[in-house]
Amino acid sequence: MEKTTATPPKKLGLKEKYALMTRGLGWEPTYRGADELYDQIKFEGIKIHDWSKWEDPFRLTMESYWKYQAEKERKLYAIIDAFEQNNGHLNVSDGRYVNTLKLFLTGITPAEYGAHRLFAMLGRQFPGVGAAIACQMQAIDELRHVQTQVHTISQYNKFFSGMSEWRHMTDRVWYMSVPKSFFEDAMTAGPFEQMIAISFSLEYLLTNLVFMPFMSAAAYNGDMATVTFGFSSQSDEARHMTLGLECIKFVLEQDPANVPIVQRYLDKWFWRGYRLLSLVSMMLDYMLPKKVMSWKEAWEIYFVQNGGSLFNDLSRYGIRMPKYWEQTVASADRLSHETWNTFYNFAGAAAFHSWAPSDEDMAWLSEKYPDTFDQHYRPRFEWYREQEAQGKRFYNNSLPMLCQTCQIPLNASEPDDPTKTAYREVEHEGNKYHFCSDGCRDIFCHEPEKYVQAWLPANQVLQGNCFEPGVDPEAPGFDAAAELFKYYRLTPGQDNGDYRGSKDEANWLKWKGLAPADAAEAA
Amino acid sequence: MAYQVTVQPLGVSFEVEDDQTLLDAALRSGIYLPHACCHGLCATCKVQVVDGEIEHGAASPFALMDVERDEGKCLACCATPVSDLVIEADVDEDADARSIPLRDFSGTVQEVFDLSPTIKGVRIAVDGGGMDFQAGQYVNVDLPGLEHPRAFSLASPPADANLLELNVRLVHGGKGTTYIHKDLKAGDPIRVSGPLGRFFVRKSDRQPVIFMAGGSGLSSPKAMIQDMLETDGDDRRITLIYGARNRAELYYHDLFVGLTERFSNFTYVPALSEPTEACNWEGFTGFVHDAAKAHFDNDFRDHKAYLCGPPVMVEACIRTLMQGRLFERDIYTERFVTAADGNKAVARSPLFKKI
Repeated sequence: MEKTTATPPKKLGLKEKYALMTRGLGWEPTYRGADELYDQIKFEGIKIHDWSKWEDPFRLTMESYWKYQAEKERKLYAIIDAFEQNNGHLNVSDGRYVNTLKLFLTGITPAEYGAHRLFAMLGRQFPGVGAAIACQMQAIDELRHVQTQVHTISQYNKFFSGMSEWRHMTDRVWYMSVPKSFFEDAMTAGPFEQMIAISFSLEYLLTNLVFMPFMSAAAYNGDMATVTFGFSSQSDEARHMTLGLECIKFVLEQDPANVPIVQRYLDKWFWRGYRLLSLVSMMLDYMLPKKVMSWKEAWEIYFVQNGGSLFNDLSRYGIRMPKYWEQTVASADRLSHETWNTFYNFAGAAAFHSWAPSDEDMAWLSEKYPDTFDQHYRPRFEWYREQEAQGKRFYNNSLPMLCQTCQIPLNASEPDDPTKTAYREVEHEGNKYHFCSDGCRDIFCHEPEKYVQAWLPANQVLQGNCFEPGVDPEAPGFDAAAELFKYYRLTPGQDNGDYRGSKDEANWLKWKGLAPADAAEAA
Repeated sequence: MAYQVTVQPLGVSFEVEDDQTLLDAALRSGIYLPHACCHGLCATCKVQVVDGEIEHGAASPFALMDVERDEGKCLACCATPVSDLVIEADVDEDADARSIPLRDFSGTVQEVFDLSPTIKGVRIAVDGGGMDFQAGQYVNVDLPGLEHPRAFSLASPPADANLLELNVRLVHGGKGTTYIHKDLKAGDPIRVSGPLGRFFVRKSDRQPVIFMAGGSGLSSPKAMIQDMLETDGDDRRITLIYGARNRAELYYHDLFVGLTERFSNFTYVPALSEPTEACNWEGFTGFVHDAAKAHFDNDFRDHKAYLCGPPVMVEACIRTLMQGRLFERDIYTERFVTAADGNKAVARSPLFKKI
């Protein structure tokens, strides 16, 4: 059947429509020079010849942006309200699960605020209109994510310990300095490095490792508030990831001299991101009462396979796989165990609980890590459990040596030897600096002036900088730990320590009407 | 039943089977629609339904807002049609694409002849007014005893609307090409449908043109070059880099040498990858991409490049062009994929859309 006879008038494509609608909205500065206005755009050595080649992949007007975001907010808060009214926190798989949330919400929320600041600055710095608008919108997205997470914290904080002082702890507690220093490192870099660091390396290359397993885990563990937040922000993440891809293509195509600079940024931020994700590795393998996939499996799918095809495509530009990526694969069956061991050791100084894995947990770990768990890690955890059974739960009361770059305790084994802790050190202007890995050492060596300024929590304690004003460490009877907790605003015996015997556990058992033995079985 | 979906502003159409999503059907018909997550969460594949009805499927309420549903938007990765559709998608209209409807033609094999030890030429006289097509496009050929038609690029220029030429390389174990090489003969009736494909010269862009071809991938560039030089009298710089294993496989060599004599804007760079002594070869020895790199001194800026041949050759050429500063927006490809190639395809990231 013939359908139409008259030819309809020729339609404009969406790209043409947008171009006509936004025509002339950017401008060339006249009474001040462009170099003065965009004063940070040149010092990195990245050469941009033609900003008009930046293709705006979004073509989103502010009007529709507000409309979309407003509706997302309405839906999200409706679900958070329902979660609250129905005591949704009682439906999570086990009280232990909330500790993943504590770490995620208190660690990532300030990081997202850092991302908000970073993109606001980038939106100011890029001379290209498409790039500037995309960054400004992302700055607002990040602020929205911060707000929704703060509301989620506020819900869980009514029932569980360790979250009430999250904003204060961000700047003080040792492990919080890991995400904090990551974003501050990015924020104090040049605009192109910022884009490669956050939009490309974090948002594109590594974000799936946080989102996919974490959101599946939330669903699997009955945490519908977090699942909904995940859907709500994933709809923004797609735009952020596209920005990362557009940015790297644009920079690589503008000038051949940009390729080695971009490669160095990729090497650096891949490694920084990988170290940051060691927190995710232990969430997946140790902290979820119902597990979804192992860290090793997640790294294989989201980095080795997906990242591999991305770098295969990037190799057309002359970009190679990020430096030391082989080490991340070699260490994939060790990372989570070594990280969780650190948090088991230092649970006394953390605002969430850790615990030794149960028999069932260890059976799962043996199955997922046949080459390493039984041989290297099971004996350690069994010893912890024996000590605990004798009423001597092991707490490490010393201060760990931290990596000058990633600020993680030096807990990782040598890439080629699981029985040997990796130590790297560098002399710089008469001082010795310590690193967890070749990757972190190389990052330091490229910009030592930047990283010598790092605020390392353990070193700051030893220098006496982590006590409240007026505290005298030389006074008789000085209790360093007690004073440190005051400075952290951490309530000892409530926020910290082992999950077993914690206030969280006691409440959980009471709410669910379980005896401690039932809980062990139910878990 | 299948529904017909027309994509604006391209004006192209494709068919969607029951329970098939718009995105799946579009991609399988060779029509690119932007997409990313493919399961209704990221909204990259959002399209506007201009006419017709759809089911939204599992589109997330955060990816497809209520206001958008009211406006007739849908996510192509989840939506299924319940009527014929017209959709408007965020795809670039190509000023050089002519919208020529796909038609079925009956014809007669006029001639099957040797082009090289592994490649046969087939000339098909089509009945009626002939086939309207753009040089570079391909046709589907129905062969007896085969369930699915086989795709072959047209090696003849559109000026010869009634006499279509195909260049067919014998694929080891390939039923279609074996039939053409062993059984097809002059006088056989044959059915073809076409034209198909988006591989054609972007003539509205005045930059000089580079063609890179390997093996029977020469067919499209041959048609495109003859069309530009002989039909249009196009005077821009046109360079053909053409690679074969040895001299006997380098078919139509004399034709291109002849074109360089008639047209001063045309340059022909043949390359042999495995010349033997019998070849007496004095030209470039190596692969197509190496020949191109040497000829252009690793600087391909300000050109349009058209690549046609086996996937390995096309990938090597893309890499060479990009290292020589020519990027996606100026590169067009037609990959000659056989069933064997499909098995070893490398997973791709969303970094590139069309190359």
